[in-house]
Amino acid sequence: MLPKNNKEITNKWLNKNLPQVGELSKIDPWWGLVLIVLALIVLLLVSQPDPYQRILNFTEDGIWITLLVTLVSSVLTLVLGLFGGLGRISKNKVIYGIVSLYVEIVRGIPLLVQLLVWYFAFPAIIAQAGIKFNIPAFKNYLANPVMMAIIGISVCYAAYMSEIVRAGIESLPAGQMEAARSLGMTRLQAMQYVILPQAYRTIMPAIGNEFISILKDSSLVSVVAVSDLTRRGREFMSTTFLPIETWTMVALLYLLMTLISARIVNIVEKKTKMDK
Amino acid sequence: MDEQPIIQIKDVHKYFSDSIHALRGVTLDIYKGEVIMIIGPSGSGKSTLLRSINNLEEIDYGDIIVDGFSVKNHKDINKLRMEVGMVFQQFNLFPHLSVLNNIMLAQKIVRKRSEKDALKNAMILLDKVGIPDKANAFPAQLSGGQQQRVAIARALAMNPKIMLFDEPTSALDPEMIQEVLEVMIQLAREGMTMAVVSHEMGFARAAADRCILMDAGKIVEDAPKDELFTNPKEERTKLFLSKIL
Repeated sequence: MLPKNNKEITNKWLNKNLPQVGELSKIDPWWGLVLIVLALIVLLLVSQPDPYQRILNFTEDGIWITLLVTLVSSVLTLVLGLFGGLGRISKNKVIYGIVSLYVEIVRGIPLLVQLLVWYFAFPAIIAQAGIKFNIPAFKNYLANPVMMAIIGISVCYAAYMSEIVRAGIESLPAGQMEAARSLGMTRLQAMQYVILPQAYRTIMPAIGNEFISILKDSSLVSVVAVSDLTRRGREFMSTTFLPIETWTMVALLYLLMTLISARIVNIVEKKTKMDK
Repeated sequence: MDEQPIIQIKDVHKYFSDSIHALRGVTLDIYKGEVIMIIGPSGSGKSTLLRSINNLEEIDYGDIIVDGFSVKNHKDINKLRMEVGMVFQQFNLFPHLSVLNNIMLAQKIVRKRSEKDALKNAMILLDKVGIPDKANAFPAQLSGGQQQRVAIARALAMNPKIMLFDEPTSALDPEMIQEVLEVMIQLAREGMTMAVVSHEMGFARAAADRCILMDAGKIVEDAPKDELFTNPKEERTKLFLSKIL
């Protein structure tokens, strides 16, 4: 026989045993995946120090280069993308035209080709110009691979970022700009104090995704003489002939970095939402 | 009133996308302290006319001079806008800022007031519109009527000489209309020059001096409010009033 106050008991049981909605959302289940990947790496290192420990030691400096290139490129991309986005909504036809042309050109060329241009073609152009116009500093111009890689990635990703920023600004109701302007603010002041702080909240997830894409695409810089994680992996493989172990380790290291980045982006996203 | 009008609208034309002739030669003088009510069917150009006064809509022909500044002179447009407060149908509060910061922002960056002065002014105005207890709330936490009152306070904080109201109660629930109208009537009694696009007859009766009927981009009738409502001269006015009264 069912107890009289069946419903009440059920409710009590539910309240006691099921996590509440608020509690559930506090635990981010994706951290579990981070832990699994981390555990897998540790397992490999412990169970087979040779070759996995050797691979890690060999590629360690590459990890730092990858992180350096990613971080600096991300910051530059954000800054350039912000100006690019403002240029794409500019009422000044010259600025709009130049920025639009830049976005169209850059988005039409593969990043790998752009990196090759920056590292091989650009220094050659400088050197030839140096010879032609007799500028000694240009004649012996040697490109710094890391710097060229960072410029290449930033210039490319800023074009995509410009479109994200533009879309974020255009997603706001026109009344926001009108209200700001009707209070006597200049267009720039309205952007700074009213439009961008709001657009930032909308485009935050998209920006985070771009950063993670930069982390992954930074592996392309390995072809322009940057000793990043990918390049160090290739060097290790060519001396040891251990393709399975090498690329398993490199892939897991990338996976760990992207997963952690995704979690960090997620935390920042939640924080900006709560600030509202 | 033989003094200079504070707003002179001279033969203004406005086109939208070349094909729509929204304003067809509007001429209107508004004097200091006057409360003008603009009525008319939708698409008649009343909002466009109001938005032209602070150059939110750029006019294509004619001129509008507000307190000595022409809307054609883009260099001085921000000076003009500082003198003209505007209240919108959709409130357009800044959702990422608290009520206080909504009212303080332009005071600080446009009027260059100190934090302390801006805050003091904001609190006085919040008191005036009757919601000092909402100072630290965010717009999303307020009812429509409260949001619109904050929007009025935000516009007043710039110490404008003229206030424009673009259908200020059209987006409000019926029971919230009154609280906004009361603030507007109070403002009118204090001698503010106001141009109001609205069909609120309660406001017209209580505060308007003159009433203007617009249709198809033109002013059809311009008369003291009692005359226009009780004894309209134009057929178009009679027809329109028969529908809204």
